[in-house]
Amino acid sequence: MAASEPGPRMQQASISEFFEKNKHFLGFDSLTRSIITAVKEAVDNSLDACEEARIPPVINIEIRRVQGRKDELILTAQDNGPGIPYASIDKAFGRLLFGSRFHTISQTRGQQGIGITGVVLYSQLTTGKHTHIISKVAEEGVAVHVDIGIDTKRNRALKSNHRRDVWLDEHGIDIPHGVMIEARMKARYQKGSKSVHQYLRMTSIVNPHAAISFRMLDEDGRVIEQASWPAVTEKLPAPVKEIQPHPHGVEIGTLQRMLRDSEQRRLSAFLQKNFSRVPSARAQQICEIAEISDKASPKRLKGEQVRALQAAFKRVKLMAPPTDCLSPIEDLLIKKGLAKAIDSKFVTTITRDPCVANGNPFQVEVGLLSGTDMPSDSPIEVLRFANRVPLMYQQGGCLLTKVIESVDWRRYGLEHPGGRGIPKGPVAILIHLASTHVQFTSEAKEAVSENEVVFDELRRALLEVGRSLKSHKRKSTQRAKAREKFELINDILPEIAAKASQILGREVPELTPVITKIMKAVFIEDEFTWDADEKRTQVNLVLFNYTARPRSYTLLAKWPERDGVEIVDDSHEGRREVYGLRKWKLDTLESGESVTLRFAITGLEKDEWTETEVFFRGAGDIIGATRLDEKMLDQMRREEEAGLLQITEPEFEEAIEAFTGVAERAQEADEVGAPEELDVEDEDDEEAVRQTTLEDGWGGGE
Amino acid sequence: MTERREHSREAVIEALHGVAAEMHDRMSKGESPTMSLPVRTKKNIQFDKRLGVYKYGRKRTVRDASSLGSARQLLRALHIIEFIEEMIESGKSSTLREMYYISEGWGNGKFGSQNESNNLAEDLEIVTRCLREDFRLRPEEDGSRIIGNMTFNELNRRGEWMRINARDDVGDSGYGVPYNVEAEKIELVEHDVDFIMAIETGGMFDRLVENGFDEDFRAGLIHLKGQPARSTRRIIKRMNEEWNLPVVVFLDGDPWSFRIYASIAYGAIKTAHISEYLATPSADYLGITADDIGAYDLPSDDLSPKDIEALKAELTDPRFSDGRWQQWI
Ligand SMILES: Nc1ncnc2c1ncn2[C@@H]1O[C@H](COP(=O)(O)OP(=O)(O)OP(=O)(O)O)[C@@H](O)[C@H]1O
Ligand SMILES: [Mg+2]
Repeated sequence: MAASEPGPRMQQASISEFFEKNKHFLGFDSLTRSIITAVKEAVDNSLDACEEARIPPVINIEIRRVQGRKDELILTAQDNGPGIPYASIDKAFGRLLFGSRFHTISQTRGQQGIGITGVVLYSQLTTGKHTHIISKVAEEGVAVHVDIGIDTKRNRALKSNHRRDVWLDEHGIDIPHGVMIEARMKARYQKGSKSVHQYLRMTSIVNPHAAISFRMLDEDGRVIEQASWPAVTEKLPAPVKEIQPHPHGVEIGTLQRMLRDSEQRRLSAFLQKNFSRVPSARAQQICEIAEISDKASPKRLKGEQVRALQAAFKRVKLMAPPTDCLSPIEDLLIKKGLAKAIDSKFVTTITRDPCVANGNPFQVEVGLLSGTDMPSDSPIEVLRFANRVPLMYQQGGCLLTKVIESVDWRRYGLEHPGGRGIPKGPVAILIHLASTHVQFTSEAKEAVSENEVVFDELRRALLEVGRSLKSHKRKSTQRAKAREKFELINDILPEIAAKASQILGREVPELTPVITKIMKAVFIEDEFTWDADEKRTQVNLVLFNYTARPRSYTLLAKWPERDGVEIVDDSHEGRREVYGLRKWKLDTLESGESVTLRFAITGLEKDEWTETEVFFRGAGDIIGATRLDEKMLDQMRREEEAGLLQITEPEFEEAIEAFTGVAERAQEADEVGAPEELDVEDEDDEEAVRQTTLEDGWGGGE
Repeated sequence: MTERREHSREAVIEALHGVAAEMHDRMSKGESPTMSLPVRTKKNIQFDKRLGVYKYGRKRTVRDASSLGSARQLLRALHIIEFIEEMIESGKSSTLREMYYISEGWGNGKFGSQNESNNLAEDLEIVTRCLREDFRLRPEEDGSRIIGNMTFNELNRRGEWMRINARDDVGDSGYGVPYNVEAEKIELVEHDVDFIMAIETGGMFDRLVENGFDEDFRAGLIHLKGQPARSTRRIIKRMNEEWNLPVVVFLDGDPWSFRIYASIAYGAIKTAHISEYLATPSADYLGITADDIGAYDLPSDDLSPKDIEALKAELTDPRFSDGRWQQWI
């Protein structure tokens, strides 16, 4: 749980003492870290406020070195959020641990630190300066300008220089609403993997709806570093729903506090009203197991009774908590978020369905990208997030890292010496864990603690992006090979013929037979273009017969079939073969001829679909396509007809992978070592968790 | 005496056309165009007893259009053929570097590096049995320097024969050897020396010149500048044959020295097609060997990884297959 709270009974002079004692997990334990924490508190608040008010956030951060003062920085953070009404300013900024979100269970950024008051206090303790605030709410005519300090004896705000005045931007235009904070503090700016820049970059990745800009100024006002990450979507994250805690996930401290604050007079009513998934029969059962009367007063339970109650929770079967309280970023937006921060040639993302671990709903999301100018001989970049908050410290001890290390990335085409540790290569992996209750290894909230259910779920997601990476790599090599061949026969060979003939003064020879001799194969090329006017993805599949004989094929291509997504303007009138797989029967293709299959897909966004897998039926191989496994297809067709199969994209991929594995392995004889073990894992796990009796809390963080 | 083969303009063009014709004929038959040539690595050089030098053996490779890389080579070869033909017809010449720059304009036939274009020019020499002088291609490698009491006749740019004595008519840098050292350009007139000493490094050459070694020991000094250029090897060969002078090669004694010596005495791998014009089989090795270092307890530097690699490569080089070399290396 959070730091020991400075409650009302605390010694009055102890606010600064409390701060001093706890500064390591409040994030103010070093000069370099303090500035990151300060930026983080400001940015978190801005994002939370904007989301709540449904305003697309625009956040500007500026840091300036103070002239003539070693290790002193001025932080200016400005947002376009709803602002804070004058009456609440002192509470928001001048009282420690006055968050608006204690005692609630929801997936918010808050609950992370000490809040913005910590920044105000830190400034004051290190430089003696008060924090300058400008706040403007839309309803009021002018903004509030005020300096806030903290009366550490009374844990109260000290306001000074208060005035009402207009607030103008650099163009002299009235700012309609927002908050600006200017705080001066002892801190040191540094670059690198633990820096303000990296924190903002990571934040921008998981907040594709936010526009964030950053400037670092030297003491003479010279810009020494700057960056800006635009918003890449207008879609704001869904508002988070608050849910009641689930008995399986509640910790003893929380339980005690809930009992103390209970409005119900009987234990069984307390259980039903304050927890999710506890109907009256279950409440009775809990009381029985705990050997406490269901009429007992919640406020009067003794210590051992509370423990008995908690133990009883774990021995009753309860429905899993609802999972619709989670707000994932969603795969397409992760893709866009990554794309704005890192130049890449390939991005794949996955958002898994919500799950439950020990009474806590959670959901994992993973993105993998291979960058265009990332170093290929250093470890891949690991981007960890918990509830959209970047985790920048303690990488080695974090569950999210350990899952990456548990995968043998050599199988997916990455360099991974011994299959241990972090793999190497020009790749970044993003992991987002969304949960109503993320368990950290320590109060500093830097690393997620071990949990088997989360681990397994994450591993599944990683294997999935790993498979996409591998299939992308295979396709790119094939494509590169095909490109070369095409260049050879389309450009080089005709030039050889022309030049040789010109030198000799002879006639240019007919090249078709030469070409079939050189190529000796059938090729397929795919081409994806985004039609911005029609808002659709145009796909061209071109099949070339460079063999000496006529060939006839049926082509099949995977496509993201779902409600609202449709294939239109199909040049060859394809038909649905099975869910997500379309089929085209092509006329016989004579030697030396080619045919182009054209169609478009509507209902998708740009960059949502940029690669397909093509299968074929017919004699002789096609370079760039895989022979279809008929047994797999039959199986899928039967299941679909029986209505048994609600195939999801990832499952479909796994099935394809499993069934075409053999053919692929033959094709990839020259690729790396270990035989493809089938990663199709038991999908029943999740079900097992939904109806279960739990032995211990998630992670056992105490 | 090995006289250079004379090639008429017509003969050169005909030989080059032969290369284009091989490609054209194949394409007309519906086959991939090809260009066949000897393998040009140490695996394919062998000792020619008659000539006393190393020449290419019988291994041949066929370059065809099955891969993009080799198809490009064919196209480039055709561009060079065209380029040479134009030069021959207009009576011009150019340097290999100029040709490389001109190739920028050859579209798909342009070269990735000058090394590539130099190599391909050599390939054409080998296939056509012509010399690059026939192709009017000059190297930009500056020739070496000669000092000693030897007199040469050189045809200068104005078309006049100039008589130069490499002791009296030159400064301390010596007589600069032009890229073409054939009889039509340089005549070996007379000399008053007892032997030719070819020297690997500039420092050593300059010291010997300073100390008047050439006069004291009646020597003709020639600076090799590391791996010696074709013209350097050719003029050593001519002085050896026409003046009947013994040749010693004065080397540093590092792994690279062995190769330099081999290229002078046995023939270089890259130019094994013309070894009989360039190599001087009677040249002697002068310098420290590995044995000497041991025997006289001489100070030595440790071998670098590159040195070791070079030595390993030399162990499998047929030119060093002799027991004495194997042991030294
Ligand atoms: N930029 C802002 N715009 C609007 N309201 C803000 C802003 N910053 C702070 N607030 C208000 O002030 C309150 C206190 O912020 P504070 O950072 O101390 O706590 P918190 O964000 O609720 O939780 P945490 O302690 O985890 O940060 C917020 O809950 C919010 O209501
Ligand atoms: Mg906050």
